Amino acid sequence: MISCRKLTRRFGDVTAVNGLSFEVAEGAICAFLGPNGAGKSTTVKMLTGLLAPTSGEVEVCGLNASANRLELKRRIGVLPEDLGLFDDLTVEEHLLLTGAVYEISKSATQARAKQLLHALSLEHGRHTFAASCSHGMRKKTSFAMALLPNPRVLFLDEPFEAIDPVTSKIMRDLLITCSQRGITVFLTSHILSVVEHIATQIVMIRKGSIVWDSPAGELPQSLEQHYFDLVEAPAVEELEWLGSARS
Amino acid sequence: MAGLGAILGALWRAQRRDQKSFESIASNNFFIITAFFLRQAGTFIYLILGLVVLFPLSTDPLRKIPRSRLALWPLEDGQRRLLRLLSPWVNPVTWLIAGLAIWMARGAVSAGLWAVIAGVIAVGFVVSEIPAPAHGMLRRVPHFPGMLNHLIRKNLREMLATLDFYCALLLSGAALLFRLFGRSLPAEAVAPLTILVVLALSSFAQCLFGLDGDGGLGRYLLLPLSGWQILAAKDAAFLLVAVPLTLPLAPLSGLSASLVALALGHGPSVTEYRAQTRWRFSSGASVIYGFAQAALMAMAAINDQRVALPLALVVCAASLFYYGRRFAEG
Repeated sequence: MISCRKLTRRFGDVTAVNGLSFEVAEGAICAFLGPNGAGKSTTVKMLTGLLAPTSGEVEVCGLNASANRLELKRRIGVLPEDLGLFDDLTVEEHLLLTGAVYEISKSATQARAKQLLHALSLEHGRHTFAASCSHGMRKKTSFAMALLPNPRVLFLDEPFEAIDPVTSKIMRDLLITCSQRGITVFLTSHILSVVEHIATQIVMIRKGSIVWDSPAGELPQSLEQHYFDLVEAPAVEELEWLGSARS
Repeated sequence: MAGLGAILGALWRAQRRDQKSFESIASNNFFIITAFFLRQAGTFIYLILGLVVLFPLSTDPLRKIPRSRLALWPLEDGQRRLLRLLSPWVNPVTWLIAGLAIWMARGAVSAGLWAVIAGVIAVGFVVSEIPAPAHGMLRRVPHFPGMLNHLIRKNLREMLATLDFYCALLLSGAALLFRLFGRSLPAEAVAPLTILVVLALSSFAQCLFGLDGDGGLGRYLLLPLSGWQILAAKDAAFLLVAVPLTLPLAPLSGLSASLVALALGHGPSVTEYRAQTRWRFSSGASVIYGFAQAALMAMAAINDQRVALPLALVVCAASLFYYGRRFAEG
């Protein structure tokens, strides 16, 4: 469903993504992991047709992501890192806008919006403007916008960051349902404990290059330890002044 | 006191790096053009009533510090009051306006009037402390047919959250009241007043995406819409505000001027993202661009509308499709 071949993106002298090649099968939940600045968001932008690669090829849903950008947008759902919400629209209006621009009938849009608002516990905040929403509500709204057009592939940039445990559980369960229904999920995250529970494929990148790509069941050790070994080990610094007499 | 000095130092650095506050006055078409035409008569009064009153609303440096952060800092009440008093002076525009006012007053202003001016400035800064109105007040905007309905509604809410709109509304309302009370406007005043109403809105046409924020801009790129459709939703909202405001004057001239404002506004809106602040005046591309936009708007408004209107329509449509494509290309 997703296929990258030697995908490279340079910004001037900086190579953000360097020759990535991987495949994600239909219905898989692929976790794309790496430290900040490793090239995860740049890769997601190239996969979703928002950024043209410097070289290499991307195919999503059988479409070349650079050449068929509009058609690709009709087949995928995206939860961007910045959530992509308009301050001047309410939660419900964001869903109705999505239905309208994806040319879903008004009645179907309203029915789906109602179900999504219920499933994501957004019913009470449906008339709240995005600018006044909590971060969790904003994330759920953006997630609902990604699901509403019934996409074939879901791209989620850090979906579990900065949300409460209940919202995290709701989103995890919905992603597993999506996977079971044949929707491919491609997500980035730093919360390895959550990823470990739902991912069927693990891809790790470091400085723009892939350092690991395997089914989740083939990891030789815990995901966290494997990540520390391959991607980035935590720094150790003694802050001996902490807790001592204030100067 | 060292803490206060550090805050003022940080404000000074932030002010130096961000000239948006200056731009909101220096590149707002309404300020530029009215300042240009009013320079002959009553400059000092204009300076006081216009720039000085509006300056704090547009440029308060203290707004650069998030309220929540300011509340957390261990400052005493007296230090907070001192910060309020000193912070405007880290903005070079404050010195510029004060210098201009003193130079133009040159002995012609009494101590009492200076006190009034000081009071007006103080009120301006106090008003700028009041939090912006909540979004709820703009909830009831009408619905429109078609897939762009919610985008147009959102764009309308954005326009109604700028001071440009209220400036135009004030001018339009004044003209309406003048007519309602039985006086006929001199024929030669109708077109200039119409231009002035559209002029008050025209800087917003140069920063159509300025209130969408990074999130909104990202969302546009994800929506399966062509660039021209996204721009058309912006244009529709602009015309839905501008044309009704010119109804008490010369609506056809207002429509032509609005179309020209949009035709020239698409370029800077698409090619250079200029973030705007709600409940402030819009800042356009540049003074020169503002003059060019105003001159062409005036030409469109004062000429025979049988020629000017179709021409403005064609130019605006061409600009819409060209810059729509540029927008889609990112």
